[in-house]
Amino acid sequence: MSDKDTTHFGFKEVDKDAKAGMVGDVFHSVAARYDLMNDLMSGGIHRIWKRFTIELSGVRKNNAVLDIAGGTGDLAARFAELVGPQGRVVLADINDSMLQVGRDKLLDQGRLANIEFVQADAQYLPFPDDSFDCVTIAFGLRNVTDIDLALRSILRVLKPGGRLLVLEFSKPRNSLLSKAYDTYSFRVLPLMGRLVANDSDSYQYLAESIRKHPDQDTLKDMMEDAGYCEVEYHDMTGGIVALHRGIKA
Amino acid sequence: MSAPVDPTLHTAALAALETAINRALALSPHSKAELAQLEDAVFALHCTAPVLDLYLHPGAQGMRLTGFHQGPITTSIRGKAADFAELASAKDPTATLINGGLELEGDSAPLIELQHILAKLDMDWEAPLVDSLGDVAGHQLAQVLRSAFAWGKQASTSLARQLEEFIHEEARLSPPRLEVEDFYRDVQELGIRVDRLESRTERLRQRLQKLRG
Repeated sequence: MSDKDTTHFGFKEVDKDAKAGMVGDVFHSVAARYDLMNDLMSGGIHRIWKRFTIELSGVRKNNAVLDIAGGTGDLAARFAELVGPQGRVVLADINDSMLQVGRDKLLDQGRLANIEFVQADAQYLPFPDDSFDCVTIAFGLRNVTDIDLALRSILRVLKPGGRLLVLEFSKPRNSLLSKAYDTYSFRVLPLMGRLVANDSDSYQYLAESIRKHPDQDTLKDMMEDAGYCEVEYHDMTGGIVALHRGIKA
Repeated sequence: MSAPVDPTLHTAALAALETAINRALALSPHSKAELAQLEDAVFALHCTAPVLDLYLHPGAQGMRLTGFHQGPITTSIRGKAADFAELASAKDPTATLINGGLELEGDSAPLIELQHILAKLDMDWEAPLVDSLGDVAGHQLAQVLRSAFAWGKQASTSLARQLEEFIHEEARLSPPRLEVEDFYRDVQELGIRVDRLESRTERLRQRLQKLRG
């Protein structure tokens, strides 16, 4: 994968160098209505998925946590409470529009004492080795140009014993659910995107990028190949979403 | 490798329960301050029927409920849902822990403290009602609710007392508490006397053996 010059952008094949910019355009476009669309598209279930991610993260007082592709700061806000005033939470996103929306939201909530905001690419994280007890990436990995590179970059910044949690859309286990999900993704989502955010193309990309993302077992293998140990995953909502967890030895 | 049960439902149920508990705690002004004293404690509840694992994390912000926990646990309790319900409503949680069907590991003192805090939730209905209905209507509705709760509590205490009297005195279905305690004391004393007698007999036997030898 990494030695090819092209990669996928939804169902399209594009130059590797172009993907980050194209994904960036999608998120510049949806940033303002990101939270509203998430609630509408998932019926609010994304909050439950994120809550389970926080439970499995095992984050405690005084921990250092990096939330990559942190978007509008749902996970970072909760982590900031859990780590306490002596802890550290870094909300990172490659997209400055998303980061700005997230920063404004968290500052409005009065959460600023232990949260830092960093514009960063998951493939080339600008942090020293062994910096974090936990790294999370929720609904962001599929937008990364080179997933292997990102997994290795995250491994580098994790402390030994630190955990990576990847919350991402995956493959439904049940064929009936899978068909219903396809209909929803390719018919309802772009329509909803057009009506609410006036942007059907971005939501068409969302549906396509989910289908191109590695399934549960493939991502687990990729994490093991990158050097994570004790890799496990939990299917959620019939496999529509999966939460992978790996530990740095 | 995947969890056998879809965690979405489990997590959603915990989120709903946590919200309900924290709403109740928000109406009870002293409870949060008391819970803050248990800030670093983690209580593991392992329910065997129905099968459910639950972790309670009390703190100054209220109660956090999780389905997973990795790290030290202050108190771990295992038992059936009915046993947990009995403990939650027990007047004397120590006796319930000793005599009930719950298995306990770890420190019982923080658990008893938590039970006390939750059992004596003193809800102030007036503040949220006044916020949403205004001073006059809110105050009046709060009075009605307070009276209704006070009456309910009084009625329940009175019913429990009458039922206890009927079971112990009228129907003689079970001996009164004092009689049972007397009986236990007698049994304990008898046990001590038997031990003494056994030691004395043993001493006499040894003396007799010496005289024969």
